[in-house]
Amino acid sequence: MDSPAKDRVLEIGNLHLSFRSPEAVTEALRGVSLTVERGEIVGIVGESGSGKSVTAMSVLKLLPGDKARVTSGTITLLGRNILRHDEAAMRSIRGQTASMIFQEPMTALNPVRRIGDQITEVLTRQGILQESAFRDYARKLLTDMRIDDPDRVLDAYPHELSGGLRQRVLIAMAFSGKPELIIADEPTTALDVTVQAQILSLLKDKARETDTSVIFISHDLAVVAQLCDRVYVMYKGEIVESGRTDDVIRRPRHVYTRALLNALPEGKPRKARLETVAAAMLEGGSAAESATAAPPPATPPPAAAEPGEALLELIDAELYYPKARDVMGRPIRFHPAVDGVDLTLFKGETLAIVGESGSGKTSIAKLVVGLERPTAGEIHYRGTPLEGRRSAEVRRDIQMVFQDPQSSLNPRMRAWQLVTEPLTVGGGLSRARLRDKAAELLTLVGLEPDQMTRFPHEFSGGQRQRLAIGRALAVHPKILVLDEPTSALDVSVQAQILNLLIDLQREQGLTYLFISHDVAVVRHISDRVAVMFNGRIVERGPVDAVLENPQETYTKTLMEAVPHLRLGIA
Amino acid sequence: MAIALADSRTKRAQTRIRSYLTAEIVTGAVLGTLVLSALIFQPLLITHDPMAGDLFARFQPPGTDGHILGTDELGRDIWSRVLAGLTWSMSAALVSNLISFVIGTALGLLAAEMPGLVRTIIRQLIDTVLSFPGLIVAICVITVFEQGFWPLVLTLGFLTWPVFARVVYAESLTLLERDYVQNARLIGVGRVRTLTRHVLPGLRPTLMVMLAFHFADMLIAESALSYLGLGAPLGEPTWGNMLAASRDKLIFAPWMMLAPAGAIVMAVVTTNFVGDGIAALSRRQGKGIDQ
Repeated sequence: MDSPAKDRVLEIGNLHLSFRSPEAVTEALRGVSLTVERGEIVGIVGESGSGKSVTAMSVLKLLPGDKARVTSGTITLLGRNILRHDEAAMRSIRGQTASMIFQEPMTALNPVRRIGDQITEVLTRQGILQESAFRDYARKLLTDMRIDDPDRVLDAYPHELSGGLRQRVLIAMAFSGKPELIIADEPTTALDVTVQAQILSLLKDKARETDTSVIFISHDLAVVAQLCDRVYVMYKGEIVESGRTDDVIRRPRHVYTRALLNALPEGKPRKARLETVAAAMLEGGSAAESATAAPPPATPPPAAAEPGEALLELIDAELYYPKARDVMGRPIRFHPAVDGVDLTLFKGETLAIVGESGSGKTSIAKLVVGLERPTAGEIHYRGTPLEGRRSAEVRRDIQMVFQDPQSSLNPRMRAWQLVTEPLTVGGGLSRARLRDKAAELLTLVGLEPDQMTRFPHEFSGGQRQRLAIGRALAVHPKILVLDEPTSALDVSVQAQILNLLIDLQREQGLTYLFISHDVAVVRHISDRVAVMFNGRIVERGPVDAVLENPQETYTKTLMEAVPHLRLGIA
Repeated sequence: MAIALADSRTKRAQTRIRSYLTAEIVTGAVLGTLVLSALIFQPLLITHDPMAGDLFARFQPPGTDGHILGTDELGRDIWSRVLAGLTWSMSAALVSNLISFVIGTALGLLAAEMPGLVRTIIRQLIDTVLSFPGLIVAICVITVFEQGFWPLVLTLGFLTWPVFARVVYAESLTLLERDYVQNARLIGVGRVRTLTRHVLPGLRPTLMVMLAFHFADMLIAESALSYLGLGAPLGEPTWGNMLAASRDKLIFAPWMMLAPAGAIVMAVVTTNFVGDGIAALSRRQGKGIDQ
């Protein structure tokens, strides 16, 4: 850590930055200081709104100049204070001294230009090469990114490539100008776990090979633990803890870091209550360093899952989506989203379906709730086959909670209208009665009854998901289909929602069909698990058996790709 | 504590009000209020009977004998006639606008909700109506029926509803894909209710803006048809009729043309500003809602 100053690539000193809008001035950064040495991979971890992306963007001055203002502090890149640079000077820095990798590779690439042209544009701007050498150089760049057929990729448009390939192209572009510093803003968040593992190892190897420094921004502690030498933990615009990654994760000193680690389901007893960050912060005082150990999470007896009545059965169910149609609009080619699945859901259990994007797990959810009808095969509910239009009773019994409460709740309805809408379908309930029911439901999911006149955007993300759960519970369903209910939420909020779901199941004897890509969450909440791949279930069984000791190749690959904290905390 | 709380609340109210005071919203509100008050206080503002002629005071230039904008070929007061024309033009534009809006929105929603035959028929209908030559249709209608308020507004309404239908159709298609609409269907909310409770409110900002701008289009269309003698009954004090009457007197009585033309421009500019204001307002209000 005592390296000479010339090996210091970036130094941010006591940076204060605020955003101004007509309504208010918000302090986004409150005295952020950090350093990055040559060849070092530094992580910045924090939840949404903590200021981690703002910090990174300010290094390249990518924030809107009319709204964001640095009020004090310094940003020194290779010994020069870039806060004094004008836009022209910044242009020569971007891409050459420092470059950036964004979260969403599809939007970071121009959709109407070939990959080769886009790489060439980057190279031209940097004036590195003769024009004739562009293609060879671009081919070499892509080969370096472990892309097998660089020529096909160079001639392709972004939409013709997979997400992982697109992100490799962007990494190649970021490295093309031989920068000293690369800022990666959640570069793997939009990718599947197995692809994420490849991208992370690629990024690490390339950085080591070229002695490039990397700032890696992420909300995911496990990913950071796997990749970074040092880590900074941000909370509400401040850096609350920093140090070597191992030290921070094994021996967190700040109460927030500890709370964040405790909120993760990884390494906790199954179905145990997770500690929530809010509670910990209240106990430990806001930003003050505190040495009091976090209270051990209460461990209720794990719900013994004796197989009860078979509530729902999928028998050789298939769901084919039309891929192409003839002139008359009749489908002629199909994409098998669900390709012959047998599945039984027992009363009172939590069955998880794990899989990556495109594996068909959401299609199964749609089949179960009746948003889609199976192309072939049968669905039985309590022993009777569901055919044609479902009865009101069946519809009531099977409810669904969507991934993103932002989009699953009508933004123009008030909380009480949202939670009671399922009750209004039959008609006949008075407004006063509905409001009483709303108060009851809000209390059930941990919201205050006096919040019932608010609109969804006046709630936080976690509160919105509580609202969505309350809405699903309004008609006393037997089965709740949860489609990635926590993956749009921050870690600390995820812990709250998982706690709520576990409590509700215990109190109301609910049966959950839990769909997720997150193995740690699945291991925490479910009794049995089914692993999906390409529309089929490749492995199933009790959670511990399948996840600890996978038998099938795909499950093994999946489990190896999952990043781990590798620690004994909790 | 209580005082501090009340203090911060007034302060928040103040900043909220200030955030509404953007150039577009203020201009739209001020101009809109002006035109509306001209409409309401019209009986007080009119100086002469708009229909009463005085053959001894023909072609008086503006300012003579209390005729603010002069007189026309029959000695009628132009200022009073322009004000009287305001009522006619505004009501014609408003009613044709509403007809267009109701038909267009209903058919647009229907086309979005019912794929297949219904959608195909409505889309063909939209294309058919759009390819009608409007002027010829208007001439036919006026030949069959006689000139008057209802033939005029009905013709305009039935000729322009595809403007609304196309936008409503396209926007509803994306709204119907939203999770919360799927969610509503899941819990058994019926088709009509889904459309009125979940889709229509989402269209509100767009529809408000469209109503304002379509109103301006209707104003111009109404004046143009009246100018051609296809709109308002002859002699009726409307801007189009006044323009038509001024045609051959342009050289020696240019005020006869300038007054109604100026009125049309003012009205159209005002509605456009009101439209901009509404757009800015719904952007402002939608800040938390549509992201």
